[in-house]
Amino acid sequence: MATTADQFVDNTSDDPGRRAPLVTGGLDYTGVTEKVAGIMEAEKPPKIWYVLFGISSLITLMLGGLILHLLMKGTGVWGNNNPVYWGWPIVNFVFWVGIGHAGTLISAILFLFRQNWRTSINRAAEAMTIFAVVCAGMFPGIHIGRVWVFYWLFPIPTEHLAMWPNFRSPLLWDVFAVSTYATVSLVFWYMGMIPDLATFRDRSRSKIKKFIYGLFSLGWTGSCRHWHRYEAAYMILAALATPLVLSVHTIVSFDFAVSQVPGWHTTIFPPYFVAGAIFSGFAMVITLMVPARKLFKLENLITKRHLENMCKIIVATGMMVGTAYGIEFFIAWYSGNPYEGFAFINRVFGNYAWAYWIMVSCNVIVPQLFWIKWCRTTPWFMVVVCIFVNIGMWFERFVITITSLSRDFVPSSWAYFRPTLVDIGMLIGSFGLFTTLFLLFLRYLPVVAMAEVKSVMPHEHGDHGDHDDHEEKTAADPA
Amino acid sequence: MTQSNTEKETRLVGLLAQFDDPDSLMQACESARVDGGYTRMDAFTPFPVHGIDQAIGIKRTILPFIVLFVGLNACLGGIVLQWYTNAASFSPIFPGYDFRISGKPTWSLPANVPVIFEIIVLSSAFAAFFGMLILNKLPRLANPLHRISRFKRVTNDRFFLMIEERDDNFDLEQTRAQLNDWGAVEVEEVNEDMTDRKFPAVIKTALILLLVVLMLPPVLIYRARGMVSRSPRLHVVPDMDWQLKYEAQEIGPTTLEGRKVETEYLFPGQSAAQKQLIGTVSRDEIVGDSELTTGIAKDNTVPNLNAIPTSRYQEPPGGEQKKQENPPEPKWLTKFPESITVNDQLLARGRERFNIYCSVCHGISGEGDGFVNKRAMELALTGKSEWTEVKNLHDPTIVVQPVGKIFDTITHGRATMGPYRDQIDVNDRWAIVAYVKALQELKLTPKPKEDANSGDGKTDGGKKADGKKADGGKKVEPKVTAGKGDAAKKSDPNKKSDPNKKSDSDKKEDKKSDDASKTENGKKEDSADSKKENKSDDG
Repeated sequence: MATTADQFVDNTSDDPGRRAPLVTGGLDYTGVTEKVAGIMEAEKPPKIWYVLFGISSLITLMLGGLILHLLMKGTGVWGNNNPVYWGWPIVNFVFWVGIGHAGTLISAILFLFRQNWRTSINRAAEAMTIFAVVCAGMFPGIHIGRVWVFYWLFPIPTEHLAMWPNFRSPLLWDVFAVSTYATVSLVFWYMGMIPDLATFRDRSRSKIKKFIYGLFSLGWTGSCRHWHRYEAAYMILAALATPLVLSVHTIVSFDFAVSQVPGWHTTIFPPYFVAGAIFSGFAMVITLMVPARKLFKLENLITKRHLENMCKIIVATGMMVGTAYGIEFFIAWYSGNPYEGFAFINRVFGNYAWAYWIMVSCNVIVPQLFWIKWCRTTPWFMVVVCIFVNIGMWFERFVITITSLSRDFVPSSWAYFRPTLVDIGMLIGSFGLFTTLFLLFLRYLPVVAMAEVKSVMPHEHGDHGDHDDHEEKTAADPA
Repeated sequence: MTQSNTEKETRLVGLLAQFDDPDSLMQACESARVDGGYTRMDAFTPFPVHGIDQAIGIKRTILPFIVLFVGLNACLGGIVLQWYTNAASFSPIFPGYDFRISGKPTWSLPANVPVIFEIIVLSSAFAAFFGMLILNKLPRLANPLHRISRFKRVTNDRFFLMIEERDDNFDLEQTRAQLNDWGAVEVEEVNEDMTDRKFPAVIKTALILLLVVLMLPPVLIYRARGMVSRSPRLHVVPDMDWQLKYEAQEIGPTTLEGRKVETEYLFPGQSAAQKQLIGTVSRDEIVGDSELTTGIAKDNTVPNLNAIPTSRYQEPPGGEQKKQENPPEPKWLTKFPESITVNDQLLARGRERFNIYCSVCHGISGEGDGFVNKRAMELALTGKSEWTEVKNLHDPTIVVQPVGKIFDTITHGRATMGPYRDQIDVNDRWAIVAYVKALQELKLTPKPKEDANSGDGKTDGGKKADGKKADGGKKVEPKVTAGKGDAAKKSDPNKKSDPNKKSDSDKKEDKKSDDASKTENGKKEDSADSKKENKSDDG
């Protein structure tokens, strides 16, 4: 029978002679199921869940109210001014889209690279992706002003409009990129969840749960013929999602890079944005998963090793982002373009210098702590660092969007951007929406991909001896 | 009887054997395929067990090829979509929007790559997901396996092998024994319940009802489209139809931001726009040569009522009656002002300006057959809009008008025609007047009798236009309808010398219009140009 190593093993050490286990605490197949399904089957979730859910749903209600206010009054309720036409809504949009990148990265790219440690965290990371994209999509959605004609964004043949979108505009690419990303992420997430939903269906006692989980698990039986095609489809989706995830933030960066505003019009933006997105996404995964594993006692599935691996990715992408900051300055000087030069000097010493230095200290300096092993193996400390990273990444988008716009080519039109209460409320509200969705996910859906975790658990060969043909089967083992 | 009934009610599907770990299942699959010779069997596992495909003999899925096919088509679809919507406008229904933006080409592949890519990824992802479901024949919510309580652990920690009854080698007892031999922990019959294969009546009724309800809105919409209604359209979203701003010459609002306010006006005369004060001159009006800028003779004493703007929405002070009366006309200029020399260039310029500003309504030949007028008349006939028919410039009442009056009409508009003083500058307006006169001249085979004054003007314009007639007529000729044969015939002989000269003079005229206000220079250029042109005409 499949069982894992002893309880509370420290799996963060690297011993070349022995694979570090990905599941600890002596869990076997049954144990994994019990652990994950136990969250849904529990009569009541922990008290703290109710508290958090109450707060976050209230904040979400506030967000709903603010959106209604916006729709009734118009975009004047924001601090957007002339020349800062893109204020916080776009900052928030880019921030949330960036957060959304870690999920697909973990599930698709790490899958293609056969990084088995992804199995414990991919489900939650994908859920986070979807919810982050929901928050992200909301901002440009309400930023278009007349929300009720949002369908003008899509190439829908209409008799009264007699117009089509301009496919040469980066903003339209964005519409396609973000909506494709949201859809493919949803499909990927849902497809991965089908076998686990079937587990929930087979274990739930109440008729309603049985019906709902039954409906969404589509009658999954675990037939090996089904698994065969399922795995093929999963592999194809991963292969499709990998370029997709890189393309999304690339295209988001085109919104800026294709324009001619100094500080935006740079070719480094696509890789720089993608690195930043992965950076912020992993920070958000840690920020969410550390409390979640504690709350629902998932320490044996989401082990310290998983967290440590993510910290390593954070420090790597953090340094890529830092390099990009440096290159931007080099190019500003090397290009000899006075406007470009001014834009960057203005960032560092101008009226938004405070934001710039928050960005640099949070994104470049703080993550360096992860070079120290204690920092990347102590969960609470990671969360602190990751919160700083998230603050830093929000300010990165703020610096890019606001500083360049507020001081553009014509000094007579310069203006300082001040957010209104509605701006601030909407940013907080988007966190409320995100948290609400994530808490619902934790309670009602399989937080860990059970089937995938089971497939990477080592299992003994039992009394069947050493058959050669078993080599293939054990490919799933860390081998 | 009852016996046979119960027999019919269930059907054996196969034998289900349970195993406790993946290795023994794999072993059993291998044995079933090799030793037992079974082909119709399936293994059920909580997670994908690698190697079981070979053990049980599953062929590779064709899913990747389906995805490839869909992806390639999506690529083509993405290209066609963008080309059709942005670079082609041939289709009569839902035509593309072939619109040039920032001077960039309407069709440039690099700019279309991101959207093509996204469409490929989206379509391929759908193909992978739905292809997988279809090939797996999912969703299948009613499966006899789900009725077996032991089978519930298949999604948790147990492994099963089912040998189907359809298999040729299947024999209930023998297969059971074999399965036990191969290490099955439990062997169980799977029976399909035949009694409740019928679709539940309640759900059936509910679905039909839902369908009917869903059909209602489209039916109602379809019905409404074919009906006439006196009540205004439903206006779900007000958009920007009502705005908190003053329309020019609108009566001041009685409510402001929902509160009722005393009717107060921004300016006297119940107007939201400041009217031009009497005796003031706007900046672009040239002061000095009043004949040039107004078309009225210097010794005139009658005020030009057409020059005083009145609101469209309110009656002028004095009421209906006063408006009805034929107001006394000022003394219009019958000759062109001194600073305007009627020559080839002026007429060429006039033709160009006329074709830009006037022909849309009055038609290229001035017969009132412009596109706007035609379309508006069509709509007016069907009652979709109101429209006053555009004047035919060859109408006898128009033909007798002195040049000053035509100039005034262009300047201030008349009846429903709007003023053009802001769009067309003074010299160009005179050029248009000259061209209009030339057009009228071409149209008139028998010259109408005129009184002394207007006759002067006519002959003056006519004479000067004579030399130029060819030019004016030529441009018009290809587009005039059969009825205009006269003008066309007249212009024919000179046709050949036209192209060079025309482009030449056009260029010069454009240049000239840039500093049109410098009349002195203009004059010199005029005479110089006309000389040149005469030469080129000759040569």
